[in-house]
Parts: sequence; structure tokens; C-alpha cells
Amino acid sequence: MSVPELKERHAAATETVNNLRERLRQRRNELLDTDVAGYARSQGRSPVTFGPTDLVCCRILQGHTGKVYSLDWTPERNRIVSASQDGRLIVWNALTSQKTHAIKLPCAWVMTCAFSPTGQSVACGGLDSMCSIFNLNSLTDRDGNLPVSKTLSGHKGYVSCCQYVPNEDIHIITSSGDQTCVLWDITTGLRTSIFGGEFQSGHTADVLSVSINASDSRTFVSGSCDATARLWDTRAASRAVRTFHGHEGDVNTVKFFPDGNRFGTGSDDGTCRLFDIRTGHQLQVYHQQHGDNEVPHVTSIAFSISGRLLFAGYSNGNCYVWDTLLAKVVLNLGSPQNSHEGRISCLGLSADGSALCTGSWDTNLKIWAFGGNRRVI
Amino acid sequence: MPPEEGTTFPSLENEEEREYSFAVEYTGPPVPYELPRAVPINVEKIPLAAVASKVPLSNTELHIPVVTPILAPDRNRFSKELLLQPTVSPTSVIAFEERVSENTNNCLLSGELSSYESGELAELINNNDISSRRLGACSVSNEHSSMLDYCDSFDKSRESSSRAGVSNDDDLNQADWGSNESVLSLDYPSSRVSSLKTGDCNNDSSAEVRRPQVVTFRDIESDNGLDEEFSQDDVQHQVVTVKREPQTKGKKGSCYRCFKGNRFTEKEVCIVCDAKYCSNCVLRAMGSMPEGRKCVTCIGFPIDESKRGSLGKCSRMLKRLLSDLEVRQIMKAEKLCEANQLPPEYICVNGQPLCHEELAILQSCPNPPKKLKPGSYWYDKVSGLWGKEGQKPSKIISPHLNVGGSIRPDASNGSTQVCINGREITKVELRMLQLAGVQVAGNPHFWVNEDGSYQEEGQKNTKGYIWGKAGTKLVCAVLSLPVPSKYSNPCMEPLSSMTSRSVPDYLEQRTLQKILLVGSTGSGSSTIFKQAKILYKDVPFSAGERENIKLSIQTNMYGYLGILLEGRERFEEESLAEMRKRNCSKETDPEAGSSDDSDNKTIYYIGPRLKAFSDWLLKTMVSGNLDAIFPAATREYAPLVEELWKDAAIWATYNRRSELEMLPSVASYYLERVVEILRMDYEPSDVDILYAEGVTSSNGLACVDFSFPHSSSDESIDTGDQHDSLLRYQLIRVQARGLGENCKWLEMFEDVGMVIFCVALSDYDQFSADGTNKMLLSKKFFESIVTHPTFDQMDFLLILNKFDLFEEKIERVPLSRCEWFDDFHPMISRHRTNTNSNSINNNPTLGQLAFHYIAVKFKRLYSLFTGRKLYVSHVKGLESSSVDAALKYAREILKWDEERANLSLSEHSFYSTEASSFSH
Repeated sequence: MSVPELKERHAAATETVNNLRERLRQRRNELLDTDVAGYARSQGRSPVTFGPTDLVCCRILQGHTGKVYSLDWTPERNRIVSASQDGRLIVWNALTSQKTHAIKLPCAWVMTCAFSPTGQSVACGGLDSMCSIFNLNSLTDRDGNLPVSKTLSGHKGYVSCCQYVPNEDIHIITSSGDQTCVLWDITTGLRTSIFGGEFQSGHTADVLSVSINASDSRTFVSGSCDATARLWDTRAASRAVRTFHGHEGDVNTVKFFPDGNRFGTGSDDGTCRLFDIRTGHQLQVYHQQHGDNEVPHVTSIAFSISGRLLFAGYSNGNCYVWDTLLAKVVLNLGSPQNSHEGRISCLGLSADGSALCTGSWDTNLKIWAFGGNRRVI
Repeated sequence: MPPEEGTTFPSLENEEEREYSFAVEYTGPPVPYELPRAVPINVEKIPLAAVASKVPLSNTELHIPVVTPILAPDRNRFSKELLLQPTVSPTSVIAFEERVSENTNNCLLSGELSSYESGELAELINNNDISSRRLGACSVSNEHSSMLDYCDSFDKSRESSSRAGVSNDDDLNQADWGSNESVLSLDYPSSRVSSLKTGDCNNDSSAEVRRPQVVTFRDIESDNGLDEEFSQDDVQHQVVTVKREPQTKGKKGSCYRCFKGNRFTEKEVCIVCDAKYCSNCVLRAMGSMPEGRKCVTCIGFPIDESKRGSLGKCSRMLKRLLSDLEVRQIMKAEKLCEANQLPPEYICVNGQPLCHEELAILQSCPNPPKKLKPGSYWYDKVSGLWGKEGQKPSKIISPHLNVGGSIRPDASNGSTQVCINGREITKVELRMLQLAGVQVAGNPHFWVNEDGSYQEEGQKNTKGYIWGKAGTKLVCAVLSLPVPSKYSNPCMEPLSSMTSRSVPDYLEQRTLQKILLVGSTGSGSSTIFKQAKILYKDVPFSAGERENIKLSIQTNMYGYLGILLEGRERFEEESLAEMRKRNCSKETDPEAGSSDDSDNKTIYYIGPRLKAFSDWLLKTMVSGNLDAIFPAATREYAPLVEELWKDAAIWATYNRRSELEMLPSVASYYLERVVEILRMDYEPSDVDILYAEGVTSSNGLACVDFSFPHSSSDESIDTGDQHDSLLRYQLIRVQARGLGENCKWLEMFEDVGMVIFCVALSDYDQFSADGTNKMLLSKKFFESIVTHPTFDQMDFLLILNKFDLFEEKIERVPLSRCEWFDDFHPMISRHRTNTNSNSINNNPTLGQLAFHYIAVKFKRLYSLFTGRKLYVSHVKGLESSSVDAALKYAREILKWDEERANLSLSEHSFYSTEASSFSH
């Protein structure tokens, strides 16, 4: 078969795929007669109301000297690990707001960090294309630095996100700029499976985020620069279970809904979206109109413990609290005077849902707690 | 059930209310709000409600705190009698609330009490420490938080009116952040109530009663954060004053935050403003202590010098409050953070205030002055003598440190007319010299070295050693004069050893200049990176790195061989075809053909065994599995390769290697030594590594820290720059792949000092797979990097790499092969006799002309986008001297940048006249 012939066939195949995709989209639109907000409104639901003091900043975690890029909570004991461009991971006690560990990293360009489910170790990854594991209980060397207990190397691009598989301390899923996600076995340091890549139907651009389903840890979603999110099954690495189109920009962040049947995304197009993993439908778009052309990117999202609230950090320093049912902003954490001065780069909810931690490029982290007797929703 | 029920109640869904509805005659429209459904849940608590009901809860009393912002002093009494009761039992509080929630007017109390948690109360009760019981009182006097309490409770009361009954189990279910640790947390209403109660119950201490009530409620706008104890204007005020004074309203000796306790209660002191906090308040007042024990508002301010001694020494109180790990982190931060370091301008050496680097040199030398305090000192650089200005020497530190000015004769205010190293010595020293047996008659001038050897000025011979005799040390001790600390081992270690010592973190960051090295694939940026490693590092590559490099070189080797074999096949086919053609034509005279008789054998023919290997290798290459198979299979195939290399067919192909476009130019370097390289015990030399492809690209990012070594030529340039030894550079090389316009991580490099952009000059006639000129691709990439918002106002150095290849190529291939360069019409003198490119006559070679032409092209492009000047240098990546020169040029640009910042804008024009291209 000659090259022009091959090219011709490839073009034809691409054309077919695009046609089918378009038809699929149209069919979806026909089926999708309403979105969550429309239905909720028709049911007469009213948005959650927030008083000025219902969600207040009660701690400021100071200690980083560079932009904070990532944070993660322990499942229990209220500890936070944060990663910053000063080349350090800091483990915080969220209750006393004190540091318990300050880990100097071999590579300062860190992009992500994660706490292990048992809280015994932390993982981080960045531009060095490796995922480094630090055991918090290991002894420090003579300079007072915690040694790396394991490095997971094999990615060919930067490590953009990592998350431990829930209830397991030995498996971690990373996403990378080499367009793949990898499930690692930490004890051996080897790749258990690779999701996507050159010869597989995976993402076609850098993968920026992963989120593991808390109710079924065998599935996870990934968000990528190709403006899609993909659902994967760890048992079948060869192809994505489903691909979710809809965003018009890089998908910076994905997060599973607490019930495990939906997930949220945040993107460079300034919107957050809610997708259903069973039907593949886009359930809702969360979009705030902006007057100027400059659309702030969504950098990070988190759901409240019930899923009623969606916390979204934006590149302009806003942090909106969305009512997921009504698709309305019920609170902006960026507006109170003691909010961050820079982009909100990461946010996370504590395991019991009672507190939210935001990390920002102004080098600080802040903990917001539901004030008084406000019910945690 | 009475039949009229249905009509009286339009909303039928509430079964319970229907049950009780016989008592109510409700005829109005359906109520818009939810009806209170409080009663059933609290049934079991009714007996306890009786206890609480004794409390005199009159409407007016409860209203007052809400309406009048400032509490009168006698409010104390009020709340006392009001709240004396709740101490009875934890559950009584719930009874309180129950009662209050019925009464929608009594909003404050309901709000306050609703968040009351039994766990917290238990903690309070268990806590026997009196001071911690006063927690609440301090929260009352805290303006901000009390404001919050106010609106919080107000808000909640609104809610509680709507869902009065529910609020109860709400509180039980909810993990209350504030009350998880009542001592440390935010002032939730709960803590306020509890503390009022406890505090007032314990008011047997007289301080309590006399305490003025300074509770002021602020409106929402003025509330700026719970964790800020001082209001904004306080901060502004204190920025102006050098010495920060804490604001205290309490009496002397009390906690600065809660105004409780006396001078005997244990307190922690702020190391900046001397504010003292009791154990309840210290964590609130000091926050997360990023710089040690400082008030939140004092963060970033220099510490009180009198407290320098106590830096990093933890009190018992903190140890009690925090875990071991936390305390360790705080103390570490306190000792090491930049704001707490000795300000260098406080130290004057030989009449010159120090700068940061000098102080670092002083403190990190092998024998530093211990417990350095602010003040003026003199320092004898030759002997290392060190003393306070106008006094005799106090110690001997490491000599030859490049700090401060030069020593003055009157530095120690001596009057003996005897000089040591140009300093007139004091009488005590003279006495010591006499006792040490030094001839001091006639007011001699001595040169004393650090080992104690001395000579008279203008003479060569060493006259003796001052501290040589055992008795001298005794004399020195008597006269309280210093002796060298390690006499046997004079600190002759050169300054270079100091640079290898660990520099404190804060200084490292200041003195580290980051240089970002980017370039499209094939531009040779990795070669420059490797050159920098080889040039400036003692151990350029670790053993592990070398092993990896070796493997990748060997893998590359097979790649080259594969290309050769592919070429062989092609040549074979071509020559076979040719031969057939010839055979057809020369049927008539068969003896004139090729010497070998078989008609299908050319010089490119290889044996079947090698043919099988060749086929297999080519197949592997096509499938892209070369990387996966090869490092491991090297041993297996090495003999075969050896055989292959000896084969004449390969040699024939190799001789025609210029026709193989795929074969990189460096391949011949390796191929000539293929047998040696494929041995298992092959150790790549530095040059091998330099030539190796794809060695640094396995990772997305590589960085190397280095400092330029002092060479003799260097010193002549910057003798005035004495802090050079501390200046370190970090060369960061990032891969071009993924550096697209929407690159997510380029903003991580906004703190780099400059960007070096690498372009291969020889690319002008190369084309990428899709037919675009590689030079144009580089140009496009350059544009995207230059215009990236992260690199706004960044200096760029363009390295035009592979100048050697370029010079050679330009003679063969015209520059106009690249359409960007189509107007290159060099004026070449006809009498170009001297082809030496380094000629200093005014006959530049074509290569140099073309280089300048391309440089100008890029400069124009750059100034089109940024309006600034581009620095350009040409480099031969494989020549270390040329890379060295380029990197030194980068250093000059960086230095220059600093100086430019110091100069006024009016002198800007001076720089624009500077020639920006660098030739050497």
C-alpha cells in the first residue's frame, strides 16, 4: 500500500469518526432535555443560603516561601500536606496550624502531592518526571532532610497529579505530561498498568489531573489538555471506558462526586461541568458570566461531603461555592477581606467535610470551617 | 378525629401536627416559613430543662449585649448571675436552648449556646489549669472575634427560629471545628459562653474583678480576619517605628491578648515586640509561626537583638502545647529563617558595614567569631586578629576573609607606635610581644601571618613564631589576649573550600542565579548542558548516570547500525539494478563485468547470517522496540556486530554515509569505535558523553548547580567583585517537547534570571518530517517563548550553536535555502587568501558574515516583539572553551542586569550603545 493511499484512507477514517462523533453529540443533545439546575428549579428547590460567617477562615498556614501548587488532606487526624515552588513539602497539623514536617525536595519544580491513606507517607511529583514517596516516619539525615524512600520513574513527561488508591498504601495513580496515567505498585516501584499512550486510545495531550472513585476504587477519571475527561477501569488499561467531551479548554481538574456516579471537571474555558459516568451525559455547566474577555481558568475543584456544594478555585483569585443543584454561586471566598492575594491553585476538603483548605500562589494556605452551628453539607 | 381537621389545615402532610391540632384553631393561609417542630426530639431532656429554667432570663437582659455595642463595667455582674447556672451540668445547656428557641427574641443566647458541645465542656472541666479556664474572658476582650460572635449568633438565632428543634441534633452531629480544641480555636460563641462562665466563676482572683471591660463591637467592614490580633492601623504605625512595641491594654505582667494572669503565670514572649502571651493565647497570637515565636503581625520583622541568644531554645510551655515534631519545626524556622538573621548592616568591619554575602562568609568560615553581636569591629585579614573597634584583639578568626574594608592604623586605638600588619597595637599586646621574646625596640612594624610567624616590614626572613612558645599562651591568657584556636592546624584551607560548605538556605536562594536553557530538539542544548557539567563540576556524572549513559550510547549504536544496514540494502538494490542493466547491455563482452562471477553479488552483499541479523534489527527499529530490547541484549549481539563491522559491505556503505540523511553527524564518531563501545566493560569518556544523543532527554528537566571557578584571567576582570565566590548559578534545561503555547508549567520559571535560547545554525538547510524548514521551526518556537507572558522583561541570550558545522556547510549550501534568509548577499572580497576563521584581519569568512546576518535577523525579530535588545553568541557545542565563553557571557549579562537596576534611568542610553553580540 503506498503512502498516498494510506493517507487517503486515514483521512477517510478520520472523517467517519468525526461524523459519528457529531451524530453522537446530536443524539445526546436530543436525549438531554434538561440539566440539573433546570430540573431542580422545576421542583421548586431553592439554593443554599450562606450567611457572611457560615464559612470563615479560621487558620492561615504560613511557612512556604513559594507558590503553593498542591495540597492534600489525610483521611483522618486532620493533617495537610502542601507542595510549593520553594521546593518543599510541608506537612501541617490543621488544628494547631503548625508544621510537623518540612521536606526539602530534590527537584524544586513540584506540581502535586498526596497523603497516603494511612497518613504514614506522602507522595509528590513534578517536572522531574518522577513520583517520589517520603515515609514520614523515617529518620532524617544529618542536614535534617527526610530521605526519599521510593522514586517511581518511568514517565516521559512531568507528573501533573498523583493520588493514592483509597484504603491502600501501596498503589498510587499518577497522571503525566506524556499523555498517560500510570498505576504504580509502590513496594516494587514498577508500573502495574499504563493508561493511554502512543498505541492506545488514550488522551491525545498532557493529562493534568486524576481522581479515583471513592466508592469503587477500580475506576478513575482523568482530565487532559485535549479538553476531554476519560473514565478508566484499572483492570482494563488498554482503552478508556468512556470519553467525556464538552469542555472548550484544557481540563485542569477532575473530581469524583461523593456518590461515585458522577464527577466534576474544571477547565481553562472558565466552566465547571458535572458528568454522569453511567450515561456519559453532561449534567450541568457551572459558569459565571464575566464582563471582560478575560475568562478566569478553573484551577481546582472539590465537592462538599454531600455533593450539594462545589468549591471551585479560579485563576483570578476567586473561590466560588456553587450550589450544584441550582448552579448558582452561593458564596465567593475570594471576596472576604482575608482571602488570598494570588491565584487559588488548589483546594481540598477534609475527610469529614467540616473544613476546606485553599492553597494559593500568595504562598499561604487557608483553612475555612463551617462556622458555628452551620450544618456541614 | 374531628372531621374539621382537614379544613383547618391546608397542609396535610404533617401528621404530627394534625394530631395536636385539636388544640389550635388555625384558619389563616399556609405559613410561608417552616413551623417549629422542636418538641419531640427534646423530650428526654425535659427534666433537665427544669434546672435551667431557674435562670433569670428576662428579655431585656438578653437584649442588651446585642443592642449596645459597649458593655458597661457592671455588665460583668449581669452576665455573672446570668451564667452562673450553666456550670451545673453539660446537659443543662441544651435545656437552655430549648427554652430560648421558643422565644425568637432571645436570639443572642440561643446562638451562643447552640454550638455548645459536650465534649468541649468536658475538656474544660477536666482542665484544672486556672489560666486556661479564663479562655473565655480573653475572647470577650478580643474585638474581632467578639464581633463575629455577635453576628454569628444573630444569624443563627434566625435559623433557630425556623428550625428550632432540628438545631439541637445538628449540634450533636456536627464536628465543630471551633470546639474540637476549644483552647486553640476560633472564638466560636461556644467558647465565649463557656469562658464567661468559667472565668466568672473563678473570679476569686482580684485581677479578674478589677479588669476593665473593653469590649467593643465592630461592624462587619472593619473586621479583618480572626487571626489578626492587631488592627490594620496598628500595623502601619509599627512599620514606621523601628522597634516594635506591642499594644497592651492590660495591666503589667498580664497576657497581652487576654489581659489575664500576672507576672508569675507562664508566658511565651514574642521575639520581635516582646509581647507576652499566656498558654491559651500563644497559638492564636502567633499563628503557624513561620518565623518562630513571633506575633502574627510581627512576621517579617527583624528580631529584638537582645533575644538573639534565646533563638531556637524552646520553652516548656510550647512543648506542652505542641507535639515534638511541631516544636522542632518552629525552632528550626526560628533559627534559620532569613528575617531572624543578624542584619549585616549592624556589623561594621574596619569601618565598612557588611553586606549579606560578607556576613555569610564571616559566619561560615572555619573559625568564625562566636556570638557575633551588632557593633563595629576591626579585622586583620593577614593574621586573622579580630577585635572591637578601638580595643585590643578579642579573638583570632580565619584569615583572608574578604569582608569589610582595609584595616586602619588606629583600629585598636593603640599608642605604642608598634604596628602589626599596619595596625598600631595596644599596650597590652606590646607587653605580650615583649614577654614572647619579640624584639620591639625602635618601634618596628611587623607582618604577622596567621600561623604566628612574624617578620619586620621590608624584610624577607621570618624572625620567629609569636605563639610558638608554650609560655606565650599562658601570657596571653593572663593578659586576656587571644591565641589561635588550632595552632597545630593553621586554617590555611583556601576560600574555595568554603564554597563547598553548606550555605544557609535563605542565602542560597538569594545567591542562586537561575538560567533557563531552552532549544528545539536537535539544537544542541543538551550538549551545552553537558558541557556545563563537565566544565564546572568536579564530578560531572555520577556512577549511576554514567551507567545509564553507557546503556543509551550502546542503544544508539544499534540505531546507527540499523541506519547503515538500511542504507546497505538500498545501495545493494540500486547497484543490483544497475548491474542488471549493465549486464543486459554488455552481453557481448562478459569478461568486462565485475570480477566476481555471481551476478547477484555486489560489494554491498553480506552473508546470510548477517543478513538475518540485519533484517531482524531493521524490523525492531521499525516497530520502535529498540529501546526496550537493547541495553539488555548488548552482550548477545556484540560479537555479531563485530563481525558485521569487519564486513566489506558495511565499509562500502559507511564510505557513502553522506548519502544517508538519517545518520546523524556524530554517528561516525561512535561507529569508528563500535567494537570497543559495545564491550561490556566500556566506560564512556567525557567526550563520548558529550557526543551522545538523547542522554539528558529522558527526563523533562535537568538542572545543574555550579559556580564559575576562579581563573587568573577572570580575576583581572572582576577584582572589585568580592562576593563572587558565593554566587552560584543553576542551569536548567527543559525539553522543548510540551513547551507549546499553552504550556502549563512555564510559569514555574518566572524567577529565572535569564533565558538562553539555543538554535542550531546548521539547521538552515534541514527539513522536518512534514517539510518545514527547521530554522523556521526554531524561529517559531523562539517567538512563542519570547512572547510568553512569564518571560516578560526577561533577558534572552541567543546561542547560535553548531557554528563549526555551519562554517563548513555554508561553503557548500547557500544560506538562501531557508526562505527567511533569502536576502543574504554577502560582500566577499576576492582576495580571500586567509581561510582561517580566527583571522583578525578585516576579511571575515563567509561563515562569520552569515552568522552576523542571522544574529541580526533574530535581533530584529526580538525587538519587534519586545522592543529590547537580544544578546547573541555563537557556540561550537563540542568545544568546551566556546561553551565556557558563552556561559561567562551569560554571567556578565546577569551581573550587568543587577548593576542596571542600581543605575538611574537617565543612564539607560549608555547601555543601548553597548555591542550586544559577543565575539571571541
